[in-house]
Amino acid sequence: MRHAYKKKILYCGLVIVGVIIFLHPNMNARRTYDFIEKRNILEHLYDQTAQNFTSPAILDCDYHDILFDDTTMSINLMDGDLIEGHRIKDGGEFHPSDCKPKFSTAIIVPYRDRAETLRGFLVYMHMFLRRQNIHYRIYVIEQVDMRPFNRAKLLNIGAAAAFKAGYPCLVLHDVDLLPLKPANLYACTKCPRHMSSSINKFRFVLPYLSLFGGAIAITSSQFKLINGMSNEYYGWGGEDDDLYARLEVGELKLCRFAPDTSRYHMVTHQTQQKGEKRHKLLNYAKNRINNDGLNTLRYTEVATVLHPLFTHIMVDL
Amino acid sequence: MDLDAVLPFIILPILLLIATLSHIITIIIMVVIGMGTLYVVSRPRQKNRSPFFFSWTLSSGICMFLVFELGVLRLLEITQLENFIFLLLLACTCYFFYKMKAIADYELATGSSKGKVYSPVLTADSHYCQICQIEVNEKFFHSIWWDCCVLRPNYIHFLAGQVFAFGTLLVGVNLGLTTVCQPFVFYGTILLPQDCEDVYYEFELAICFVACIYGVGYLFVISIVLLHQLLVYIPKYSEPQWRRLVNVLNV
Repeated sequence: MRHAYKKKILYCGLVIVGVIIFLHPNMNARRTYDFIEKRNILEHLYDQTAQNFTSPAILDCDYHDILFDDTTMSINLMDGDLIEGHRIKDGGEFHPSDCKPKFSTAIIVPYRDRAETLRGFLVYMHMFLRRQNIHYRIYVIEQVDMRPFNRAKLLNIGAAAAFKAGYPCLVLHDVDLLPLKPANLYACTKCPRHMSSSINKFRFVLPYLSLFGGAIAITSSQFKLINGMSNEYYGWGGEDDDLYARLEVGELKLCRFAPDTSRYHMVTHQTQQKGEKRHKLLNYAKNRINNDGLNTLRYTEVATVLHPLFTHIMVDL
Repeated sequence: MDLDAVLPFIILPILLLIATLSHIITIIIMVVIGMGTLYVVSRPRQKNRSPFFFSWTLSSGICMFLVFELGVLRLLEITQLENFIFLLLLACTCYFFYKMKAIADYELATGSSKGKVYSPVLTADSHYCQICQIEVNEKFFHSIWWDCCVLRPNYIHFLAGQVFAFGTLLVGVNLGLTTVCQPFVFYGTILLPQDCEDVYYEFELAICFVACIYGVGYLFVISIVLLHQLLVYIPKYSEPQWRRLVNVLNV
């Protein structure tokens, strides 16, 4: 009798240990999370336009219909061409002509060596962003040297260019991500916003709550407050978690829109060389905030070209 | 310790590891495993009297399970709920196969299914099992992969085990492939894999992918088994029941 009792306890223990191990309490990929309700988005938006931007239109643009737009864009758009008469100015700048936009956004895209992806991205993004009645400009920052890709530093360089042009809002965007929902407004919210929280490559789940990479929207003043991103992350990975650590230091809480609104398509590509030092760097992310970032940004600008669809900044890190 | 029983736990992981090298090698290895299986099932039954095959089943299950829990889940794309559903299905599968083996053991040791040991002649409903090397009443067939005689009392467990194994593999393979590959929305929240081109660049992705392909092979085998059951044994199993029904109607 006592023997059977002991056995039962043993089995119970094994089952509990098994459940703990195999349910992975530290792995919390999730389909849903806290987000800003659709009807509250308008009051959370940070409405400000670029310093030297004036619109000839009289009426203010309305964003309600855009936020409640349920359509999904077709990714086949990226294989096509832009429509005729798109009114996009050189340097990839656009503003609606029939109403006065409330938001100015600089979209900053770090880039190297993927011409076909970039072409598709630009065509798609212009088709997508035109619908949103915002004033925007696309900056593509290309790393021309042969060192491993440094996404964070390129974003810093793009941000500096956007500050110079007076943009109050930055969208830091990967070239392989395409937003699927026009309701995902490319404007800043008062909190830094993680936009790409439901990517098809990640099975439309959010891998972890503090993820802050892919496509994010942050106001210029907040980006300056946290001293931008770290310049030290060469190779893939780590820089987004570093940015999150900076937000924590700056006591900024990130926010998101609903998963359904935040859907993205990731264009397939080969995986990149991983950064070797990323784990070491991440451990001291919070200590480096004051002496690694926008204030220590050094690089050589090779050229800046205004292409019809984007501003092309080529840099040697 | 019997060498035959240990061998699958060494051979299978090595084969799966080799298969991660490139997609051509994956195809070759899968074909080799498939041909090996065909060879085994086509040769005379009494030659397959070895624990090797049951070990192979166990080894396959454990390998795929470990790859899923330690490989696929590490990529942080599986939600708790999905993992829970997978584990639940797996638990059901294990339960039914365990029960199937336990009943067979019991029946063949003491139960009514045990034939007469010294019978000089076989009676109409008894059967000599060449693998267990005993005479068995109400025998349906002997499964070398489970090292177990399937009889009338445990047939339902065998069937349920196969169905749950099919479900477990289907869920696991779908979760694994949609994680390592580029998925697309099939319907509602159901995703299907679409583009698996770049899985061989990283070992972690490649081993998940190979285990999934191996799982697809198992799915194929189980569906054949289930089809076979549907055509042959389910009619046989349910025959007494519908005969009883017909008899009731006759009265």
